[in-house]
Amino acid sequence: MAEYHEIEDQIVMNYKYSMGGQSRFFIELKENKRIMGAKCPTCGTVYCPPRIACARCYQPTDWVPLQDTGVIQVSTLVWYSTSAFIQYVPYAVGYITLEGASTAMNQSIFSENLVPSQIRPGQKVRAVFKKAREGKITDFFFVPIDEYPIWIEKPEFEGGTSDE
Amino acid sequence: MRKVAIIGFGMTPFRARWPDKTYFELAYEAASEALQDAGITIKDIDSAVYGIYNDLFERQFMPDIFVNDYIGNIDKPGTRVTTGGATGGFTVRTGYAEVASGLADLTLVLGVEKCNDCYDKQTGTTTPEVLKAIAFSADMTWEFPLGMLAASSYVTLVNAHFYKYGTPTEEQMAKVSIKNHGNALNNPKAQAPMRLTIEDVLNSRIICYPFKLLDCCLYSEASAALVLASEEKVKELRIENPIWIAGVGAACTDAFIGNRKSIGALPSNIAAAKQAYRMAGIEYANVKNALDVAELHDAFTGQEVISYEELGFVEYGKGGEWIDEGGPEMGGELPVNPSGGLIGCGHAVGATGIMSTGEAYLQLTERAGKRQVPITKGRAISHSIGGPGAAYSAVIVMER
Repeated sequence: MAEYHEIEDQIVMNYKYSMGGQSRFFIELKENKRIMGAKCPTCGTVYCPPRIACARCYQPTDWVPLQDTGVIQVSTLVWYSTSAFIQYVPYAVGYITLEGASTAMNQSIFSENLVPSQIRPGQKVRAVFKKAREGKITDFFFVPIDEYPIWIEKPEFEGGTSDE
Repeated sequence: MRKVAIIGFGMTPFRARWPDKTYFELAYEAASEALQDAGITIKDIDSAVYGIYNDLFERQFMPDIFVNDYIGNIDKPGTRVTTGGATGGFTVRTGYAEVASGLADLTLVLGVEKCNDCYDKQTGTTTPEVLKAIAFSADMTWEFPLGMLAASSYVTLVNAHFYKYGTPTEEQMAKVSIKNHGNALNNPKAQAPMRLTIEDVLNSRIICYPFKLLDCCLYSEASAALVLASEEKVKELRIENPIWIAGVGAACTDAFIGNRKSIGALPSNIAAAKQAYRMAGIEYANVKNALDVAELHDAFTGQEVISYEELGFVEYGKGGEWIDEGGPEMGGELPVNPSGGLIGCGHAVGATGIMSTGEAYLQLTERAGKRQVPITKGRAISHSIGGPGAAYSAVIVMER
């Protein structure tokens, strides 16, 4: 092999990023622990993640609150990851359809028992919210429904508004 | 549209890393080999199309213009295509359009990628940082912050398919790994030739349940290039073995997996395949009997099995059975990935679909060496998928 010379380098960028029309989702999440969907008045699809207009009907959507319970459509356990997440393995992610929504959202699934038999399609899950919320998707996660009471007892987490 | 032929192919070996070559130097090597194979020089080229996926890999925005400069395609158009893992297939499609439309008579289609300059200091290895560069292709608001990565995105599709049909099983996926690593033993330019057993694959370490290390392709550095020509040029240059691009299909499905009607399916694969087959005059239901060889996008073993179904080789849910029967093996009903595919040859993202198309070209011109399949029908396909939730799909049909 011919000789070569290497240098260390990095690319860093900073942002103050606007969530645009999706802002309402993150404001409700941060302020009210409420998960919002967006309903198309024409076809009735309830999108979560929400969108301000329907891709099929080309109509503006209406904001609708969703339940904080749902069902795992599909999931996986991650044992090797990107440099941004490798310190967190193993962790679970899945697509969850919330009650009242038509689409599935990608979200973290936490469990005291992180095994494929517990984190699987058809498993009922419930949202648990961080107490210190920033208005980001990571402000909440899902847990298997039977583990919900354990998780909301932890000092850094709490239950959603449907408990109140 | 005018007829378009492939008249030359070149590629560098696929390697984990080429520390002594930059991306534009790799591109030069592939361009040089492809031009020589076609019997022309860069001066004869009317236009170029570049497949380069990820600016963060190359540590350069607009890397295509530096490739264009380095290969000497000066004062002629060079256009970049970037569609994730499907970059190669979409680049061939764009190159095809340049010649078919009459914009160009000779077009260079070149893919290049160099990922392993990314470096993760905490592990002292490249891969986690490469995976991070890829993860920026997930939605940055809704997906990236949750630790999404290419393997977790693909495994989602495979797990949903398994939940619905009971296949592909872990053993069936292992058979794809054995086949593709084994085929690569006959490819001198492959990165990962290996003789494996089912146990080797099943016992390799878990990456994303149920994908193990040997279910996953490796990231590679490489460049691959094709020369495309109009019919007039084929005659003028007295090309003896042109391979015609008989069909081109491409489609993009929902980028958000959760918005799809069926999470385990890629309707984009079906749409791209049907478009390409229709253009080539092949029936979707009969495609398996119309082809001599297929180079499919096996970024992960399970996805290759689903592609058998979506590209029309077998019915939905029957892909696992087909590998059990040996259908896609060398000497089987329709050999899939004699090159080793992404798992055996490697995945140098922008170059991959061009490697697959070039491999099919070599097969049809009967220059594939030890991995040559018998050519009786005179047709082959290449397939590329990629992007968030593998939303992009492209299929190219070639004919001699």
